[in-house]
Amino acid sequence: MSSVLWVAVLATAIGTFLMRCLPLVWMRRRLRKLAESDRIDAMPQWLSILGPLMITAVLGVSLVPSDPESPLSWLATVIGAIATLLVWYRTRSLGWPVAAGVATYGAVIVVAGMGG
Amino acid sequence: MNLQATPDLSRPWLTGIREAIPLLGGYIPVAISFGLVTVQAGFSTWEAALISTLIYAGASQFLFVGMVAGGGPLWLVVVMTLLINVRHVVYAPNLAPWLTHHRCWPWLMHGLTDQVFALAHSRLPQLAERQRLGWFTGAALMAWASWIAGTALGAIAGEWLTARWPLLGEVMPFALPSLFLVLVVPRFTSRRWSLALCTTIATAMLCTLAGVTNLGIPLAAILGALCFYVVQFDTRNRRQG
Repeated sequence: MSSVLWVAVLATAIGTFLMRCLPLVWMRRRLRKLAESDRIDAMPQWLSILGPLMITAVLGVSLVPSDPESPLSWLATVIGAIATLLVWYRTRSLGWPVAAGVATYGAVIVVAGMGG
Repeated sequence: MNLQATPDLSRPWLTGIREAIPLLGGYIPVAISFGLVTVQAGFSTWEAALISTLIYAGASQFLFVGMVAGGGPLWLVVVMTLLINVRHVVYAPNLAPWLTHHRCWPWLMHGLTDQVFALAHSRLPQLAERQRLGWFTGAALMAWASWIAGTALGAIAGEWLTARWPLLGEVMPFALPSLFLVLVVPRFTSRRWSLALCTTIATAMLCTLAGVTNLGIPLAAILGALCFYVVQFDTRNRRQG
């Protein structure tokens, strides 16, 4: 890799790190200034809404199968998501619903693949 | 891996590592693909691993390598890659109320990916203050290490792995939507939030289907937030009426 390309890698790495780190420094200063008030309320409301919604957007993106043309992928996604939600509802845990979702998704792919 | 408050965490870093394990199902197959694509684009194995170590941001790494391989001007490569990562600016402030005053926190933000943020946003409020640094360090390092190891594996043996176990590569990435589902579903606490969340999910899916995934993430979140505010405005009007 050429030295110019290395500069591009480093610039991207530093830029990405600063986008993750500087908002924390800014928010900590803000929280310190508003130390006497409630810590949660010190956060601008739009920011506390946008954070969870960004994650929700990533969920939306990841729900689209890698092969969106395939009805089987959509079927497996829907059934896998239902299995995840059911196990989450029962256990209110993190690991089991993910394991159940992946296993169900895989089972649908395998069974439907055998049938097809 | 219970999401309920766990007061007895003698080794919080170990709990962090354990709770980050579901991330691996999504991270490793994608990292293997990245390693494979990077080597095919003319980079060496250690260069691929170093890109994953330093940049550590999935989608933007693919764009970086793709644009470089396509001969795009480097300044544009950097700008486009950073634009994709702009969404990260809202993550750390959302965690800030739960972080202690330890000096390490700003440095640990290197590990603040979408997935680690989602996990930390759910878990940090449930942990005692003294446990948070250890928990986050364990979870973030586990995710980072798996991303780097997956990249190296993909660069070394990606072609062989995808030929040998094609089904595994197809099934394991479902861990990511499954995990996000578990992290998002507790937020369906009111009609207002539900509408905002559904709007965001639908918009993000439509954008992905239209081939504009990276634009879709911030756009979907902004539309969801607008929905959140508009619904409040409508409710107030109805009450006044």
